[in-house]
Amino acid sequence: MSEIKRIHQDLVAKKYTCTAFVQEKLDLLKENKYNSVNTVLEELALEAAAKVDAKIANGEEIGLLEGIPFGIKDVYMVQGTYTSASSDLLKNYKSAYTATAIQKLLDAGAIPMAKENCDSFGHGSSSENTVFGSVKNAIDTSLVAGGSSGGSAVNVAADYTVFSIGGDTGGSIRQPAGYNKIYGLKPTYGRVSRFGLMAYASSTDTVGPLAKSIEDVAIVMNVISGKDGKDQTSIVSEEINAEVVASKPEGIKVGYFKNFIENDAIDPTIKADFLATIEKIKTAGYEVQELDFFDADTLVSTYYTLAMAETASNLSRLDGTNYGDRIEGKNLKETYMVTRSENFTEETKRRIVGGNQVLSQGFSDAIYLKGQELRKEIEAAFEADFNNVDIILSPVTPGPVPKIGEVLSNPHAMYLSDAYTVGFSLGQLPTLTCPFGTETGIQVTGAKNKEQTILQFANFLNQVQ
Amino acid sequence: MSKIMPVDILSSIKGAKSSEAVDQLFDVIRNAEINQNSSNQNAKNAMSIDDLRADVVENSSEITKQIIRENFPKEKDGYLVVSKVIEG
Repeated sequence: MSEIKRIHQDLVAKKYTCTAFVQEKLDLLKENKYNSVNTVLEELALEAAAKVDAKIANGEEIGLLEGIPFGIKDVYMVQGTYTSASSDLLKNYKSAYTATAIQKLLDAGAIPMAKENCDSFGHGSSSENTVFGSVKNAIDTSLVAGGSSGGSAVNVAADYTVFSIGGDTGGSIRQPAGYNKIYGLKPTYGRVSRFGLMAYASSTDTVGPLAKSIEDVAIVMNVISGKDGKDQTSIVSEEINAEVVASKPEGIKVGYFKNFIENDAIDPTIKADFLATIEKIKTAGYEVQELDFFDADTLVSTYYTLAMAETASNLSRLDGTNYGDRIEGKNLKETYMVTRSENFTEETKRRIVGGNQVLSQGFSDAIYLKGQELRKEIEAAFEADFNNVDIILSPVTPGPVPKIGEVLSNPHAMYLSDAYTVGFSLGQLPTLTCPFGTETGIQVTGAKNKEQTILQFANFLNQVQ
Repeated sequence: MSKIMPVDILSSIKGAKSSEAVDQLFDVIRNAEINQNSSNQNAKNAMSIDDLRADVVENSSEITKQIIRENFPKEKDGYLVVSKVIEG
């Protein structure tokens, strides 16, 4: 059942006021035990809620998203709010403008509740790489929330927000959605404008929703999608039809990557649960094909090589000159160096250094350009696969949800834990995490712009669970 | 111009060194086999010139200007203090 529709009906029926409802959520966000929030947007939220109440009191119709509380990962610009990227460098930085996706939601009357904790600049898979304290899992607080959109996933799972807007570069919406047992969609690259999203790796950065139902994911996607003159990589897309999503998928061919499942790195329970889901799909009458794909090491290494190169370039502007917390040194170079050394986290520095390494003389041909070639091969392989199947299913992660403290201490293991999510990012493909199928969920992927098909198939999967 | 710059200078990060965890990723790429038939993907990822944004100057709103001034790291006597770019 759509939470958005239920709350909309309650507001229209005057079961409670929008202000009272929003205040209740604000109180929960402020008290919260998960470290899921960097800034609570109390004033903005109450102001927007009062407008909704005034419309209802005047007998005016309200839109579906009017009065619906939502969270915003702290990498999106919202004019006048702190946008820290969970870093010391930008802890006191205020957005001068509002991101396109967020502006569309504000224009639709949705209520901005909080800027949400995340891995600094999106650099992480657990939401522990943050200067605001590790985000705790909504189901078991001894476990990580996942990352990098960990705060966003936790706020939805804990009912602090009805939906949240996360960012996914290599799995940052899908993995925390799986860890907190909610839905999370990484849309086709360009379907949602990146204008106002603090860039991590521009060629795979995407903007998407986390919510508790497929219907809510579709409602939010229909509002935030669209070509935007401010993001030249944005694309035109068709609206997702709720009736089609609710109907039984016909003539769909399903595939899964055999090598993701037949290897030593996957947890035996996740493997068994995933294969049990495949059997249910076969029993329901769908054709399922085993597909060959790149090994996890190649996918992870290609993704991180390119993502690090892009983040080194994107974050080079953060030197305390025009903005950011400047620390003065004895000369200009020293000022840059001290500012960046003191204000970036260890993981962010590791990725910047790695990126500059691959872009430097002697490395760029052997690694960066080769990484680009591998990406083209990966994209070509996806194209070939989607000539044979309509949907590709995969687990979200090879292992179960880690305990807090286990991830950051072993960066290489952290990178490898993204094995099943990064490939779809390199392919710029739409992928939905569903909160069932394995302990950390199941991913449903389609060809570019096939969001409606993946949501429809996910809806069917939900019914056969 | 063939001087090789160390990563700490390239990254403007004091004492920065390459990391073993990241080097392991690079080794995978170094040793990977490349299939030469994938270069036709270039055209698919290219953007049409018609999609380029018009190069026009837009005046920022007063609130935007105000926030930009607020964000500037240092201000003295009503002026924004920039870093000393030219060393004496």
